[in-house]
Amino acid sequence: MSYCQVNKSLTRVDAYAKVTGQAKFGADLTFPDMLYGKVLRSKYPHARIKGINPEKALEYPGVEAVLTAKDIPNNLFGVIIHNQQVLAERETYYIGDGIAVVAARTREAAEQARELIEVEYEELPGIYRLEEARDEPVKPVHPEMADNQVAHHTLRKGDVKLGFAEAEIILEREYSTQLIEHAYLEPEAVIAVPAQHSTLLTIYGSVQNPYATRRAVAGVLQVPLAQIKVIQDHLGGSFGGKDENVSAMAARAALLALKTGKAVKMVNDRVESMLESYKRHPYQMKYKVGASKEGKILAMEIKAEADSGAYACQTPFVTWRSVVQATGPYEIPHVKTDTYGFYTNNVYTGAMRGYGSPQVIFAQESLLDELARELKIDPVELRLQNIYHNNSITASGQRLDNHQVSLKEVLERALTASEYKAKYREYSQRQPGEKKRGIGLAISYRGCSLGAEAIDAAAANIAILNDGSITLSCGLAENGQGLKTIFSQIAAEILGVDPERINYLPVDTSAVPDSGATVASRSTMVGGNAVKNAAEKLKKTFADFVAREYETTGAELVFRDEQIYNGPGKAVTSFSEAAAAAFYQGVLLNATGWYLSPDISWDEETGSGNPYFTYVYGCQIAEVEVDIGTGEISVLRITAAHDVGRAINPAGVRGQIYGGVMMGLGYGLMEEVETEDGYISNTNFDDYLIPTIKDLPEIIPIIVENPDPNGPFGAKSIGEPTLELAGAAIANAVCQATGKRIRSLPLNLERVLIGSSLRKGGRSK
Amino acid sequence: MKDFQLLTTRELSAALQYLASGSKVKLLAGGTDLLVDLAQKSHRLAGIDYLLDISQIKELKLIRVRDNRLEIGSLVTHTDLSENPLTRRYFPMLVQAARVIGSTQIRNRGTVGGNINHASPAADLLPPLLALRSEVELTAQGGSRVLPLSQFVTGPYQTCLRPDELLTTLRLPLPSPDYYGSFQRIGRRKAVTIARLSLALVVRVTNGLFQDSRLVPGSATPYPQPLARVEAALNNQAVAMLDLEEMGRLAGEEMVALSGERWSTPYKKPALASLVKKALLAIMEEVAADGKG
Amino acid sequence: MEKVKVRLTVNGNSFCLEVGAKERLLDTLREQLRLTGVKEGCSIGECGACTVILNGEAVNSCLVLTGQLDQSEVVTVEGLAQDGRLEPLQQAFIDHHAVQCGFCTPGMLMSAKALLMKDPHPGREQIKTALEGNLCRCTGYQQIIEAIESLTGPERE
Repeated sequence: MSYCQVNKSLTRVDAYAKVTGQAKFGADLTFPDMLYGKVLRSKYPHARIKGINPEKALEYPGVEAVLTAKDIPNNLFGVIIHNQQVLAERETYYIGDGIAVVAARTREAAEQARELIEVEYEELPGIYRLEEARDEPVKPVHPEMADNQVAHHTLRKGDVKLGFAEAEIILEREYSTQLIEHAYLEPEAVIAVPAQHSTLLTIYGSVQNPYATRRAVAGVLQVPLAQIKVIQDHLGGSFGGKDENVSAMAARAALLALKTGKAVKMVNDRVESMLESYKRHPYQMKYKVGASKEGKILAMEIKAEADSGAYACQTPFVTWRSVVQATGPYEIPHVKTDTYGFYTNNVYTGAMRGYGSPQVIFAQESLLDELARELKIDPVELRLQNIYHNNSITASGQRLDNHQVSLKEVLERALTASEYKAKYREYSQRQPGEKKRGIGLAISYRGCSLGAEAIDAAAANIAILNDGSITLSCGLAENGQGLKTIFSQIAAEILGVDPERINYLPVDTSAVPDSGATVASRSTMVGGNAVKNAAEKLKKTFADFVAREYETTGAELVFRDEQIYNGPGKAVTSFSEAAAAAFYQGVLLNATGWYLSPDISWDEETGSGNPYFTYVYGCQIAEVEVDIGTGEISVLRITAAHDVGRAINPAGVRGQIYGGVMMGLGYGLMEEVETEDGYISNTNFDDYLIPTIKDLPEIIPIIVENPDPNGPFGAKSIGEPTLELAGAAIANAVCQATGKRIRSLPLNLERVLIGSSLRKGGRSK
Repeated sequence: MKDFQLLTTRELSAALQYLASGSKVKLLAGGTDLLVDLAQKSHRLAGIDYLLDISQIKELKLIRVRDNRLEIGSLVTHTDLSENPLTRRYFPMLVQAARVIGSTQIRNRGTVGGNINHASPAADLLPPLLALRSEVELTAQGGSRVLPLSQFVTGPYQTCLRPDELLTTLRLPLPSPDYYGSFQRIGRRKAVTIARLSLALVVRVTNGLFQDSRLVPGSATPYPQPLARVEAALNNQAVAMLDLEEMGRLAGEEMVALSGERWSTPYKKPALASLVKKALLAIMEEVAADGKG
Repeated sequence: MEKVKVRLTVNGNSFCLEVGAKERLLDTLREQLRLTGVKEGCSIGECGACTVILNGEAVNSCLVLTGQLDQSEVVTVEGLAQDGRLEPLQQAFIDHHAVQCGFCTPGMLMSAKALLMKDPHPGREQIKTALEGNLCRCTGYQQIIEAIESLTGPERE
């Protein structure tokens, strides 16, 4: 089948606005009489608030309101567990907790006044280490709870005792991964405008999940959802990171806006963002694997523990994805996996691109290489012996029979493109000097979309106007990944028009049904299907009308090239003409599309089920040079092969691969939010380092297409798979280069040179 | 932070006059450190009355050769320094160091004088400038004084600049052809990162022997200073017979002697040894290529 | 607080501005002149989102006080297109998918433009050096490099 619009690298529909500076992001918007809001945050990671005196702040010139927890109708919110405070009431649970908010006529006044709010604290001892959170349930972080456990998920397959008894080799290893920051370039920004659009409040800004934010704001204010409208257009990167924190910000701005009757803008600076926003979960993992001498994996037992920080946030679901995927894509008869999340007084952790996968992939792919080394089997051969194929039974007991299981294909394509075998041989020889090279790989499977976390559905609206122009909107939000373009291509393909005809509208929660969150690499698949559904409904109505109006008979009408054909070369009418005619005949050319993803299942008791309706497969191979005198790692090349089902926009897919690989490189080599008893010491880009353009290695993107029956035009996911592999692949490459296995991320200078990461003592602000 | 007034001048004499006024004046040139302090509400700006913008004083932006010395005006930017034909010709090591300061945007604004005055332990220009035996000219209304750079920097973030003085010029003796140098640096990523460790090494090679060695590490000691014991050990050694491991080991030990055992020592000690070896190897290769080994 | 008077040319237009002692060029552009294409990402010169061209050179507008800039010339992303015609760099960014979330894009464009003003045929290393102060978390930089290289022709030896 040949396509006109999809499977083509069309330019982004939002690129023009972005290269000209016309695109307005949250912080760029202004409204008449707008006030500026600022948050006073806790001085201590854990403290009792004995009193707050806002008097001096209220007297500061330009200040119009100061609010604290007692001014909030319902102070608790959360997507899964409602235990996150909009503003700390009796206790602060982490260093980023807000205590009061100020609205003033200028940003400077708000900042100055914030410093004048007097808070009487009683500093309390906190829990900052995972072990402590787990082992000392007598001191729960949240006093109303019995212990610190946020979540515990199990997965059981076969009988690991039996498996280990059969094994001829057993390895037990411990791995750990670090706390990292999303580091979206745009700090969070929200504006709440009262009494606009016939609603109580309209929220604009850097909102990743407009419906979640609407729910949070309405819940906090105790008003109907219909009274809150969230509008989201341009957002400067999110990667999972502008959800709960932005909901809290929106709720605070909303409270101030209602109090003052004026628009209130809140913009975090980078330091505020680093202090308050949630991070990626650090994991501590114990893996035990049993295999035959020939390399058949017989049993795997896994325990993974995540630091959830002060709030539950997404921990229950993050650790659930980990429990499903923790073995990696290997068919193992006996599996026992337990994942946990624990509260501490550290900065809270939540969704970040990958969502519980990069941690377990680092462990599992390191382990596979360690096993290969022990067995003296080539790491590739070991994987080939154990990977999933069509009809394999996964660790959770799901038979992979509804799509092409392309692990072998992605692996082989990456091996060839990276010249893996020759390089592996070459780098296995003795290398003179301090610079040693190595090559290593990692593979993964990943469940697409939400899985058994929640209802997985999305909506889209398409209208054909009487001049033939089209408006399109969807409930999923453009975070920069390119969904406006993908959805426009899908709609244009079905309606047979040029995408330029389509005006893609901002998300407006009052105009499109709740489509869930823009997460889990679900937009192209779930949102794309909703757009496709809307376009198909419209096309049907439109075609019926054209057939009647133009008295066509026989063949089905074909919409293509802005024309409507009744057979090859026989144009009945143009799209625009027909649209005008339909309007004047009173035909409704407006459709809401809906897509509800296929049934899935999960049994928490038995730890098994069909958790996702389809999967994607990927392989990344890293080639590195390590200076064993200084500990510096240069990543020379990363080959990344990913099965995306169908690339709706190949250039966009490559962009996801380049970006994901670089984020994975940062995770592998340099990124770490450093905390000391709950205080965060690196709060800006001078010491929280993310990769620069100079860190860019050669990246070879390989797009593999095995169309999925459940995806629009066969398309699946690409956002997260690209990020989850590079760290593990780099670690394996470094081990080949140096002969030393590093079981903790990041592979910073100190770990590479002396085997442990050094930490500066003492607290910073 | 209290409010201050911004003063600007295009004349050195006017600037010196402001400095002599007795008010608390903070100098502003490229602003790449000062505006960070401002953003962070740093104590370094506490209590100042005036911010004096000197960035438009043209006479401090010159690079020229005079009296067998290269003179670098204190307002020369890192970009100018690294692109200037004279620095490129005489001091490639300095160019190398200037090119890794901050980013292109920072180098376009940040000045040589600012980098020296800030006297950060990690200042990229200090190790090569110290190794190259630079002098600084400090000017006040009453006249100038010239000091070796090694005396000017007196501690971490400390210099002996008097409140009425301006660092006007840097002077570097032009090297004879038998001098060799190497600059080494470790960062946590490939660009825009402060030096985790750096090293400037300058030696003269006479009759196959190292002479007049100058070895200054950065980010290794409380403030950049020469490792005198390593220098002494290096002098009169035959280039071809050098025990690299021993020199590296000595450097690590001397660093610890100067800075004490710190949280970072277990890393920096072997890493500095590696940098010393790398610098010596680079020079030995160059010497061999020149046929002087 | 005493204001400083500054004459500034921004995107070809002359302005006589009164600015506070602590007012950064970034603030003047975004707040006084409403040129919101200039973005604030870190406030300490580490991310490059606020990059503009000042007297022909790329600078972080968060690290310059407007009071220092009397008689200076500034170009922001809004000044790249002339009479509605995109500057070739802008078109190249569109054509080569060099844009994702778009927050770093204005700064990237200004750094790239400053480079090409200095040297129309830079090699890949020079391109990387020119952009090393511009962080991007979305694109992995590759397509940005490709966009710029589409304009620079073969690398000069």
